[in-house]
Amino acid sequence: MESTPIAVVSGLKHHFGATLALNGMSFEVGPGQLYGLVGPDGAGKTTTVRALAGLLEANEGTVRIDGLDPLEPGSGVRERLGYMPQRYGLYRDLSVDENLQFFGDLFCLDRKTFNQRRERLLGITRLAAFGDRRADALSGGMYKKLALACALLHQPSLLLLDEPTNGVDPVSRGELWDLLADFMSQGMAILVTTSYMDEAARCSMVGLAFRGRLVLEGRPADLVAGFSDVVLRVEPASPEGMEALESALVQAGDVVEAVTPLGSGLRIVVQGGEADRVAADLEAAGANVRRLTPGFEDLFLSRAAREPGGEAT
Amino acid sequence: MNKTPTPRTQVSHRVRRFLRRTLAVSRKEVAHVSRDPMTLYVALGLPVVLLLIFGYGISFDLDRSPLAVVDYDRTPVSRNLRESLTSSGEFLLAATPDSADDVDSWFRKNEVSSALVIPPGFAANLAAARSAPLQILLDGSDGSKAGGVMGTMSALLRNWAAGIAGPAAASPIEARVTLLYNPGLKSSIFFVPGLMAFILAIAGVLLTALTVAREEEQGNLEQLFATPVGRLDVVLGKLLPYLAMGIVQALLVLAVGAVAFDLPLAGSPFLLAAGTLLFLVAVLSQGLFISVIAHSQQVATQIGALSSLLPSLLLSGFLFPVERMPMPLQVIASIFPSRYFVTFLRGVLLKGSGFSVLWPNLLAMAVFSVLVLAIATKRFRRRVA
Repeated sequence: MESTPIAVVSGLKHHFGATLALNGMSFEVGPGQLYGLVGPDGAGKTTTVRALAGLLEANEGTVRIDGLDPLEPGSGVRERLGYMPQRYGLYRDLSVDENLQFFGDLFCLDRKTFNQRRERLLGITRLAAFGDRRADALSGGMYKKLALACALLHQPSLLLLDEPTNGVDPVSRGELWDLLADFMSQGMAILVTTSYMDEAARCSMVGLAFRGRLVLEGRPADLVAGFSDVVLRVEPASPEGMEALESALVQAGDVVEAVTPLGSGLRIVVQGGEADRVAADLEAAGANVRRLTPGFEDLFLSRAAREPGGEAT
Repeated sequence: MNKTPTPRTQVSHRVRRFLRRTLAVSRKEVAHVSRDPMTLYVALGLPVVLLLIFGYGISFDLDRSPLAVVDYDRTPVSRNLRESLTSSGEFLLAATPDSADDVDSWFRKNEVSSALVIPPGFAANLAAARSAPLQILLDGSDGSKAGGVMGTMSALLRNWAAGIAGPAAASPIEARVTLLYNPGLKSSIFFVPGLMAFILAIAGVLLTALTVAREEEQGNLEQLFATPVGRLDVVLGKLLPYLAMGIVQALLVLAVGAVAFDLPLAGSPFLLAAGTLLFLVAVLSQGLFISVIAHSQQVATQIGALSSLLPSLLLSGFLFPVERMPMPLQVIASIFPSRYFVTFLRGVLLKGSGFSVLWPNLLAMAVFSVLVLAIATKRFRRRVA
């Protein structure tokens, strides 16, 4: 690739008791890259991020940040790392300013540097007017922006964001992604996890995680372009027609890779070569069939369906 | 800044960063406490309330204990005896039944706690220098009170008898018991040092037992541990503000002890300060240790309450002398700092003992603090489960 990666995750395996959380997770994040680790709950996203943050020692595999092991005490990794956990990690009874001051002190920023960065971060997150407000009195979106500001005070070379948009309203979600795009263009390496498939399009690189490892990786545009499956919207002519439709789907067999409810009908992902035949069969069973533009969700569902252990839904 | 870092500048750089982070944690902790009325109450209100409740509540002194007198003799001498018993304030004449058979009902109604029966011919016996028995009836259902009543009444009777018979009749050998350090044998003087240990132990352990567990529960530790903050920064940073609060508590308790219970300070105030500081560090460390191993506030509170309350109440020598306990209990008692602090306080406050006598207690508290703090830091894992 274009430059030396900042974060390297290779062959991570980890289990909690009998539950396998990571099963050979591997990827790299380079500078100026916004890497989206996308997948359903339980895919191992949070465990991967915690391993990168030095908060978890995986059973197998290695994690390196700038070539350093985050578990090594005094390795200096923590100075290069900005971390925003999924759970609220800031102090709720402290104000916006007090939280910033605390993290500035932990990173031993001198007063001048701290004040400059504080001004800048409060400006871009539009929190400047809320310096005295307690963190627990902020809205979900404002809280996430404060957490982001706290994670950026020391100008890390790698920013780890675990589900930053979870529980955030759509407007704030958009703002957050705009901020991340800015940081990426300034050369920061960013790893974002999300279970919202539609957010994958905003990343410069996407890894689809399923059952503790990546099942697909690439640039979002390339992934969608390379997607050979066809997405159909199937609607029975009458509510009674649903039964006939379902038996037609069962007859179609393995070529139908995913079925999810959509309005009064179904959204199905069919292997590319078989799409016309399946569509004809379904129309014969009395359904209206229409082609849809594939999205990341379809990509993920079709890819997960080919994994041993069956369908993701 | 462009100079090559020598080992010395590196060390001073690391010390500065260590101090900066430790103070940042302390400042944050002060903000938490100042915004949490419950913590402030535990820290400052609870000690005073406990001291007043226990100080006045735990008392083996007799104060106007209700007494019934059955006087079959009905002579000036017997009347004189009755008056001398009730004039001192220890006893209050609550009933004068005509017959000893009636005394029982007074006891049952809980209206008297002791009774004196003066038999007929009492004065005549005394005048003839014959043996003059008296009957004392006590309410044995409250053993410690009965013991107190018996002791006080026998002393008063002996004094009265000596006054009647005159010095000539005194026996050739007389034991004069002089009570040192607490001449009035006031139980509050004896209890307040124990109470102080009890109160500082509970408040100290409970204050810190919650701090780390709370941060773990609320997800703060996950954020904190991804920063360069060290474990010792967090542990010491949390300890310092609570130590300051503990000093205020100790001063408060000593002041209330002096004003309300006439607690003396016979020894050196500096020695008192040093010992109290050591004890505070010991109990705060105990609380931090609990907080680190507990993982939840609920568990931390329970372990904290048990491990501070029981040893400081039962195994410190506050209520029961440790020397008379079975060996296993003595061993357990010698683990906890309360027992050393109670011995230390009685020495420095009441007896005026100096460092040369009390140093083993100081040493024991210091060893406890260092060990517990070291284990707490060690067990404080930078990992998220």
